[in-house]
Amino acid sequence: ARPAGRMARAEPPAAAFERRVLRSAAEHHYLRVRLELPDGGARPSVAQFKQLVVSALRELHGEVGAALPVDVLTYEEKTLSAILRVVSSGLVKLWSALTLLGFYQNRRCAFRVLQVKPCGAGWLPPNVSSRSKVVW
Amino acid sequence: TYYVFTFLVGYSAVALNHVIDFKEKKQEIIKPVSPSELFPSLPIVQGTSKRIKVLTRLTLVVSDPSHCNLLRSTSANIRLYDIIAVFPKTEKLFHIACTTLDVDLVCINVTEKLPFYFRRPPVNMAIDRGIYFELLYTPAIKDSTMRRYTISNAISLMQICKGKNIVISSAAERPLELRGPYDVANLGLLFGLSESEAKAAVSTNCRATMLHGETRKSACGVVYTVKKPRKVEEEETTLPACKKAKTEA
Repeated sequence: ARPAGRMARAEPPAAAFERRVLRSAAEHHYLRVRLELPDGGARPSVAQFKQLVVSALRELHGEVGAALPVDVLTYEEKTLSAILRVVSSGLVKLWSALTLLGFYQNRRCAFRVLQVKPCGAGWLPPNVSSRSKVVW
Repeated sequence: TYYVFTFLVGYSAVALNHVIDFKEKKQEIIKPVSPSELFPSLPIVQGTSKRIKVLTRLTLVVSDPSHCNLLRSTSANIRLYDIIAVFPKTEKLFHIACTTLDVDLVCINVTEKLPFYFRRPPVNMAIDRGIYFELLYTPAIKDSTMRRYTISNAISLMQICKGKNIVISSAAERPLELRGPYDVANLGLLFGLSESEAKAAVSTNCRATMLHGETRKSACGVVYTVKKPRKVEEEETTLPACKKAKTEA
């Protein structure tokens, strides 16, 4: 039995935020990339951009790499930046293929991977969510 | 503007490399160009308030044991470089570089098939001495045959050294050939490193190499005192107990 003189313990104040940790691995990973083409030549269209990504995968990882499901969710031709979506198991393959790409149609280029996220929400604009429609 | 680019990509320290190939005649080690002469003002690292560090580095391409004499001799100009790397071309030189030479980095050839296989004893000795193995990634960007050699040489190195003491660096000659630190760490995954080892190959191990170079520059010798054990005076030889019993009995 509790001694009579003891005061009832004060309740801790209610938490101001709640933290949720999702243990299951994300299905897709999203990469924000930018293609750098310093020579002032023609900029690739979205179809050519997708073809460039697939050919980079094919050069490094062969036909199996080229068959990796990669989607271009957004594409800005002016800045040559895009948001790509890939299955999480293929993230390392896609990222390494983009890193080691050096030429686009015999023009020197470089891919800069700006952001990699496992979830589709929370981007700085241009916004994209996991339910975004595929552009190409 | 080349180094400005490196800070845009996300690095905090850059080493300017000077390669000396002993096959060509009349190679002298010149004084390194002081970074303050080249860049009057250095940009600030992204996210911090410190400036980029620019170091000087010397790479010696050795294909003959006599080329190593340069390292052994206390040439004044060699000491001015922050990091010293050696690029051995034969197995014997690789062994010498790992075990006795006073260097910070041993470069691993990525542009052609390795002429020798790595063996565990010299590699383990190098790891104990604090020497790091360096892999380059820019040749892999330029050419597809180089890509194969880079990955195959890296994988054979990983099998022997188990991912320890690896540094991945670029031999970039143009700003476009540089890749960001996370991209390079991802390449480490391709070579067979684990995630933490790959990240260390770009950050922790590079910093350790810098410190190794600094200690190499500063320390010339160590003096320490040892307490000499007192000489025990010889007592009369006494027979051990078991023998005593036998003689008495």
